[in-house]
Amino acid sequence: MSDAQSILAQMTKAVEDGDEVVAASASEAAVAAGIDPQEAILEGLVPGMVELGRQYEAGECYVPELIVAAEALYAGLDILQPLATASAEGKRNSGVVVIGAVQGDVHDIGKNLVKLMLEVSGFEIHDLGRDVPMEQFIEECQTHSADLLCMSSLMTTTMKAIKDFMPQIKAALPDVKVMIGGAPISQRLADEWGADGYGENAVEAARMAEKLMDIRAWD
Amino acid sequence: MAVRDQMTSLERWEALVRGDDLDRVPCLQFILGHTAVVNGLPIAKAYDDAEMSLACQRSAMEMYGYDGLVLHGWANAGGAEFGGEIEYPYRKYTGAPMMNKNPVQNEDDAWALRVPDDILSVGTIPIAHEFSRLQYEAGMNVTIQVGSPLTWAGSVCGEERLMSWMMKKPDLVHHVLRVITDFILAKAGIWVREFGPERIMAFDLCIETNVLYSPRQFETFAFPYLKEIHSKLTEMDVAIICSHICGEQNKNIPFWSQLDYGKRGFISVGREVSITAAREAFPDHVVMGNVDPITMQEGTAEQVLELCKACVLEGKDHPGGYALMTGCEVPPQAPPVNVYQMVKACREYGQY
Repeated sequence: MSDAQSILAQMTKAVEDGDEVVAASASEAAVAAGIDPQEAILEGLVPGMVELGRQYEAGECYVPELIVAAEALYAGLDILQPLATASAEGKRNSGVVVIGAVQGDVHDIGKNLVKLMLEVSGFEIHDLGRDVPMEQFIEECQTHSADLLCMSSLMTTTMKAIKDFMPQIKAALPDVKVMIGGAPISQRLADEWGADGYGENAVEAARMAEKLMDIRAWD
Repeated sequence: MAVRDQMTSLERWEALVRGDDLDRVPCLQFILGHTAVVNGLPIAKAYDDAEMSLACQRSAMEMYGYDGLVLHGWANAGGAEFGGEIEYPYRKYTGAPMMNKNPVQNEDDAWALRVPDDILSVGTIPIAHEFSRLQYEAGMNVTIQVGSPLTWAGSVCGEERLMSWMMKKPDLVHHVLRVITDFILAKAGIWVREFGPERIMAFDLCIETNVLYSPRQFETFAFPYLKEIHSKLTEMDVAIICSHICGEQNKNIPFWSQLDYGKRGFISVGREVSITAAREAFPDHVVMGNVDPITMQEGTAEQVLELCKACVLEGKDHPGGYALMTGCEVPPQAPPVNVYQMVKACREYGQY
């Protein structure tokens, strides 16, 4: 294994282990070794998160493991992303996403996990946070020329906001694909309300987003 | 035409608690915001006004004809008691109190966490205490929320911060859980001394699902504290101990079944845990569940009735007792006719 391969493997393992200290030091080592920052992200950090996503789907790990893996991922990204942005050649651009937890809902763990998996898939993310007024979703999609709008709800009261506003959203954003998710939402409701996609969990959501954008990273 | 009842709701409830014969399957409800809605009030009144909350719950119970429960509490509790900022659900689409700022923002905050000197004065406790006092004066069971500690810890620290610490700083999480458990036990002691253990129904609302946590994490961070609280409540001779095991917790059920519920506990399960699985895990205790709340809100009356019928038939012969209930709180905006289907199903399919 070459030095570069060894560094990339160390980065992957650091993400899998949720070790942000090693993820940061290995990312610095990648820069020092002259590895292209974008390659370091895609070949070093991202595979670790993809593996954690696989384990989560298989019931082999749970959200706390994903949270610390994300912390390690972001520790590496903090070092590599500014450099990768400076030399954008080869940078993946899967699409522009506006994401948030809907009006009245402060539960955002699921939304944050979907955001994480979409970032791993190469999407440009505009995270509006939680308790987001429905009108703001439309404004932000227009401002950022979004390809995809992702809305989450964890309560029976806030899911009604999605149902109520879907016609307005579809009318204002005819070219934007709309995905919804969260504990009370189902594929059936997504179909009934006219959403383009639904994800049972964060990895499924990323897979659906890629399908809607006609790209593949998670398969 | 529904079958006529042979017992009053009070008679049925008291017989269920004692383990006596019943005329039919009881219908118990985990219902707060909806009772305010059907009284023409903001949902928040079920939470921030003890007198109105109790009045709304009693009038809804009378209107629908269900047999209980009447309580004050919500899943995301605990944070306000340690200094967090809470918002009551007055705004459109809000459905329950929310934590807008967790009291613990960093490790120093967490290590500094202490049980307050005057528990009755902090957070939402004055409202809960007033609610209990009104229940006592009305001759009802006095309800008190007793956790769960891990669920409260999420409200105190913020769920993601808590999860990160579970992986990296477990001692810190155990410190937070220790303080919260001490708080809950001190609160329970106050209630027992003031209202008497024979009138108290202690309940925990627990959202530590296997969507979030592994069974191992549940065993490490939830189970020891739940076990301690249940054991001490039993030592205090608290009359009824009730758990709402919210959401997908199939892998946690083996731990739940080890908890002390006294002679006759009440266990409510979500739609994700089958009534049959709950019956097997709790052979001597009352199982409550597990009508899908989403169908309660989005489904037709016919769909709700069919769902309730299936639950009643699955649960009614449970030796420990069975009561029809939703798998989580009745959605505040559920059509009233759907709530009525629950009582109708008990009358039509739950006769003994």
